[in-house]
Amino acid sequence: MRRGALALVLPLVFALTGCGRLPGARAEATPARPEDVLDFHTLYSTNCQACHGANGHNGPAMELGNPEYQALVDDATLRKWISGGMPGTEMPAFAQSAGGMLTDAQINAIIAGMRKEWGSPSAFAGATPPPYAATQAGDVRRGQQAYQARCASCHQKPSRQQVTSPAYLSLVSDQALRTIIIAGRPDIGQPDWRLTDANGSARPLAAQDVTDIVTYLGSLRNPAAVSAAPIPVPRGGTQ
Amino acid sequence: MPRLKRIYDWFEQRLQVEGPVKEAVLHKVPRNTASWWYVFGSAAFTLLMLQIVTGILLALVYVPSAAEAWNSLNILNHQVPLGWFLRAIHAWGSNFMVAVVFIHMAQVFLFGAYKFPRELTWTVGVFLLLMTLGMAFTGQVLRFDQDAYWGLGIGVFILSRVPWAGGALVHLLLGGPTIAGETLTRFFALHVFVIPGMLLFLVAVHVWMVLKLGINEWPMPGRLVRKETYIAEYNKLAHEDGIPFVPGAFWKDLIFSGAVLAAVAICAAVFGPSGPGGQPDPSITQTVPKPDFPFLWIYAVLSYLPPSMETPFIVLAPIAMVAGLLAVPFVAGEGEKSWHRRPIAVLALSMVAVSWAVFTHLAMLTPWSPHMNAWSGDTLPVEYLREATPLVRQGAVIFQAKQCRNCHSIGGHGGERGPTLDAVATRMTPDQMRYKVVTGGGNMPAYGKNLSPPEIEALVSFLETLHPKNEPPAFDASQQAAESSGAPAAGSGSRTP
Repeated sequence: MRRGALALVLPLVFALTGCGRLPGARAEATPARPEDVLDFHTLYSTNCQACHGANGHNGPAMELGNPEYQALVDDATLRKWISGGMPGTEMPAFAQSAGGMLTDAQINAIIAGMRKEWGSPSAFAGATPPPYAATQAGDVRRGQQAYQARCASCHQKPSRQQVTSPAYLSLVSDQALRTIIIAGRPDIGQPDWRLTDANGSARPLAAQDVTDIVTYLGSLRNPAAVSAAPIPVPRGGTQ
Repeated sequence: MPRLKRIYDWFEQRLQVEGPVKEAVLHKVPRNTASWWYVFGSAAFTLLMLQIVTGILLALVYVPSAAEAWNSLNILNHQVPLGWFLRAIHAWGSNFMVAVVFIHMAQVFLFGAYKFPRELTWTVGVFLLLMTLGMAFTGQVLRFDQDAYWGLGIGVFILSRVPWAGGALVHLLLGGPTIAGETLTRFFALHVFVIPGMLLFLVAVHVWMVLKLGINEWPMPGRLVRKETYIAEYNKLAHEDGIPFVPGAFWKDLIFSGAVLAAVAICAAVFGPSGPGGQPDPSITQTVPKPDFPFLWIYAVLSYLPPSMETPFIVLAPIAMVAGLLAVPFVAGEGEKSWHRRPIAVLALSMVAVSWAVFTHLAMLTPWSPHMNAWSGDTLPVEYLREATPLVRQGAVIFQAKQCRNCHSIGGHGGERGPTLDAVATRMTPDQMRYKVVTGGGNMPAYGKNLSPPEIEALVSFLETLHPKNEPPAFDASQQAAESSGAPAAGSGSRTP
């Protein structure tokens, strides 16, 4: 009889204590409408990570997870690029006002989430980087000299040489080049403007150097040269 | 005890059920029908009872109105204690019931149990199958989430293809021209009153005939069914080598039904209820609706049909299928029962099973449909970009941003409309890739007008890197030969000016 009572009581105890923790119990909230989703990780992983990389690193486009990038770019600028896209590049406009799918609240959530996840108040360790946007005009000749002196030693290596290729330069904006030169891309080994070498000694680029180098690279940008290439017709049929 | 006996006798004197019940319980069945192969019918019945009990409990909370249905399911999932478990049991009970009914039918077909005198049992069974599927479909609609909404929309489109009567049928089913509150009320009535009522009545007829005609004997090769002699032969078998139905055969039914119930409970506890998914709002376009499991194969078949075949198929195929099932006992009502001597039956069943499995599998993969979020959500494998030049990296950006990924998978993620591109450089030279991107061909649209020359260059330079480390990329042998001999290669894609 006692065993029978136990058999009755045990499932009851289990029902009262354990069932909420069963794998089938729905812990997650009611599914929200797509425009009500404000969770940064959900928004980033569905809208951004294919180009900018999981967790902001190792994507083909700008490394958003770089703390120096987060320190360099202010909220208004980020909002401008996310909302309206970056003209001349593949960064599309995400704001509903510009034909995208995200509300202003969602774009703000993405910006706040990036700051929280990847921002760091000591990103520059006390150093002052060149400003995000160029303040003076650059000079092509000086830029070429600065490029040869400061960039070419690395960018002549076979795997990195194409930074001067007209096709590449036709696909990136001056601002993107400038941002990468200043903030670097730690995930692929591109140093920031301080150009710290293997021995740890830094010889930073001056703000004017950065502007000149970007101006020089911009002068090599020539979509027409790329479009002159013929589209071949392979012999023996195609697949 | 004598008092209990007196109460029992009082009722028995008036009801007089002891005799028929004893007769039903103790009637003799052939010894070899007490088999584990004969347990599916009773399991289907057990599941029907489970669905009725859980369905009644769900109806206590569910609100059959377009505005409230979705909310009331979320209340069940999140607020009612063990409400999620109740929903999960009902959902998994439905899946199991559809599966068990199909298995039961396949077993009956394979064992020739539909032959004389059980033709009507089979015919009623075919309608029971249709009702079970009707319950599954109307139940899916009652969930009233995005899947339900769009699934019903597709169901209605199918119905509207019926010549002449299509519009009227749609109106009848939806209670109006569009999916609205009346629609849900109508499906609630179907799911809760109309179909279950018919289902219970037909189950009673079905079971009555099983009791009256006896359980089908184990088929023996060479023991042919003849209308003149079968009944006498069966009675002889049941009496000479028979056992009482209870407990001789019944204990296996009990154990299997118990195991099925346990399996339903385990699935419910582990996998949880089905949905509800997103809100049923046609203004939400970020959705990929899919029908529930029993109807996935239809989804795949319709996706693969050429447009010209759709209406004939939609209108004729269901009629042909049901007519075919109904015709089975009248075409082959006599003769051999054993599968050892019915090759066509075995092949037909195998073909149906394999086709069903293939279409269901395809419907789970949906290779015909682009993955609309792949371009912004699926990352590239990190190792593919580790040694990338700036141009290759930019090509990867083009690849993602121009939504190539929605149809072409890389690293196991992305659409499956086009070929997977992880090793594309081993099978196409850069010139061939350039040509394909610009001119399209086969399933692929031409992108020549949508991509600038620098974009094409960047994209192809990225694709060129997509080959395994130990496998060299494809090259144009004739071009190499021409270049090494110093002669210009005619029509080749030589990039040097």
